[in-house]
Amino acid sequence: MSLLEFARGPAIHWSLIILVAGTIWRLLGVLVLTRGADLSRPRDAFGNFKGYRTVFSRAWPSGEFTTATRYQTGMAYLFHLATLIVVVGIVPHIEFITGLTGASWPGLPNAAGVAFGIIALASLLALILRRIAKPAVYCSNWGDYFAWFVMAAPLVTGMMAFAHLGPRYETMLAIHLLSVALLFAWFPFGKLMHSFWFIFSRAQSGVAYAHKGVRI
Amino acid sequence: MSTTATTAPIFPSFEQVVQGFAGQIGQLREMAPKPTLSDAVRVRRAIDTLIAETNADEAVWLESCIRCGQCTTACHYFQATGETKYAPMRKMNLYRKVYQREIGPFRWWYQLVTREVKLKDLEELQELVYDSCSECGRCTMVCPMGIDTASLVHHQRSALVAAELVPPELAALRMEQKHAGTVFGASADSLRKMVDTIREKAGVIIPLDKERAEIMVLSSAVDLVGNGNGLLATARVMNHLGVDWTVCSDGFESANFGLLSGDMSLWKKQVDPIVAAAQRIGAKMLVIAECGHAYPALRWNPMLKSGELPFEMMYMSEYLGRQAKAGRLQLTPLKGKITYHDPCKTGRRGGAFEEPRAVLKAMDADFVEMPANKEYNWCCGGGAGIFLLERATRLREESFKIKMEQVNITGAETVVVSCASCRLNFEAGRVKNHWDRKVESLVELVAEHLIEDPRAVPINPAQGVRA
Repeated sequence: MSLLEFARGPAIHWSLIILVAGTIWRLLGVLVLTRGADLSRPRDAFGNFKGYRTVFSRAWPSGEFTTATRYQTGMAYLFHLATLIVVVGIVPHIEFITGLTGASWPGLPNAAGVAFGIIALASLLALILRRIAKPAVYCSNWGDYFAWFVMAAPLVTGMMAFAHLGPRYETMLAIHLLSVALLFAWFPFGKLMHSFWFIFSRAQSGVAYAHKGVRI
Repeated sequence: MSTTATTAPIFPSFEQVVQGFAGQIGQLREMAPKPTLSDAVRVRRAIDTLIAETNADEAVWLESCIRCGQCTTACHYFQATGETKYAPMRKMNLYRKVYQREIGPFRWWYQLVTREVKLKDLEELQELVYDSCSECGRCTMVCPMGIDTASLVHHQRSALVAAELVPPELAALRMEQKHAGTVFGASADSLRKMVDTIREKAGVIIPLDKERAEIMVLSSAVDLVGNGNGLLATARVMNHLGVDWTVCSDGFESANFGLLSGDMSLWKKQVDPIVAAAQRIGAKMLVIAECGHAYPALRWNPMLKSGELPFEMMYMSEYLGRQAKAGRLQLTPLKGKITYHDPCKTGRRGGAFEEPRAVLKAMDADFVEMPANKEYNWCCGGGAGIFLLERATRLREESFKIKMEQVNITGAETVVVSCASCRLNFEAGRVKNHWDRKVESLVELVAEHLIEDPRAVPINPAQGVRA
């Protein structure tokens, strides 16, 4: 079995199994815990329901914090959107997803794919540089840097494979696929899980404050 | 006509009250109980407390932090010092470790790769969850995950109660309230004496221990051992409104050192006699004195099924605001520009925003909001018991500078607060910084601006009804 065959086969498949099983395990492990009851009378009878708005409203910082958070927020949005476009928009990825699921859609022109890849990588770099430059603010641990690494690696190796840089194409493609496998396999264990937690976390706080008539 | 001009001072000024408290706080440190349990037992009790208090909400919040650092922009202690240890996200690190090792879905892994929690870790936690977090909740307003760090800090205070690691001032007051039922020695006798003093010197009647009353009003230790003006003003306002009210000597204390220290059982124990007294007298309304944390202690007490109680609970500023909105408070105009400080416990974590503003509007005040107000208000730095902690003096004083700047930007000559703790901190900060602003309590301001309508039928305060 060649490196590429290993990467395309067992590596990706097992990492996907770990991704799905690990994510379900971690979500269930938390969500099956009991919910603490607030027995106090809510400010208004249907007020608590309004708290769910926070899931959406917190997608952008309030005006009070716009100045302080604009770099972080701007770069984070650039990164998330550009990465999403690259993941689902370029032809090799669509072919890979088609192979797994059968679903298919038109891909982006190569130049656009490269542009979004560069935006994703540049914003990711901008985020890590700020994290390094302001240690007092970010209080980083190794998990933060590792999450950055497993996110940056597929972007870098994918761009290199696309541009035929580095080792020969098959080897570079295998490295790219292995880096994706690493991302999948790590996903359930570190902070990348925030892609699920944010919904629950925002909703809980929104409801807790709405109970008192406060919109957060 | 305002009552201000005709009333000679009976009680000390609030500046003198602050000085008096400083001396009493010094004595607290000597009275603090010493730990009695072994280190291992203290650690185990702290861990068990966190396990018992961790539900899905806490677990989700602990799982959600991505260390994006945005909470640091909202925290007054971090902004005032720039010291990384005060970053809000760090205040949940130890809790997360316990959660990961004991409860989390990968606990078997974390037990292998992380070391056990030691007493030293808990000792270091003390500064983070008592001295440098007033549980104001401002960090929740900016967190992209919406994590309620204040709640997590409060659970850790509970853990430190179990580990006998409450800071000495809070520990002393917790023990006093637990065993003697008083705060700063403010007993039922102190209340009776204060009621007598107010009647004799100010001619204002406080209907004490009426068998039945529509409204039960709470007082607080700050009123009884220092600022008699607080209770006097409350009585003037209630009598002016002509309502059927009383103060109960077996349930009058707003201050709750169970809530402040993190002792959940004391929190409940303190609330029970107040609820019992209100039910006994057939109260329809419980008015909580201007004591910020008493609002969550009673109105937002998660252990109390308040929807099933036969009475409503309102904070003083809420009650006054409702009266003002209903046109029952006729007040003389307030001179000069003023601003209002939302106490964290009644504002962002309580929801009483509009009512105090309605009172100021009723005084036709030249009111201007601070740049960050209501949900976004900056804490004064002294909340959640921090005003009492000598060790937190620097943090308190530095963070108060943010508050001063906020007030200065408004150009207001007077800042109105509706919380004894905030007021103590504001007054201490005002004196320390030679700040040329006035700090006023909402209820005292209202009492000073009551219009005594000469055409009104005289009120019999002892009966609380129009004669």
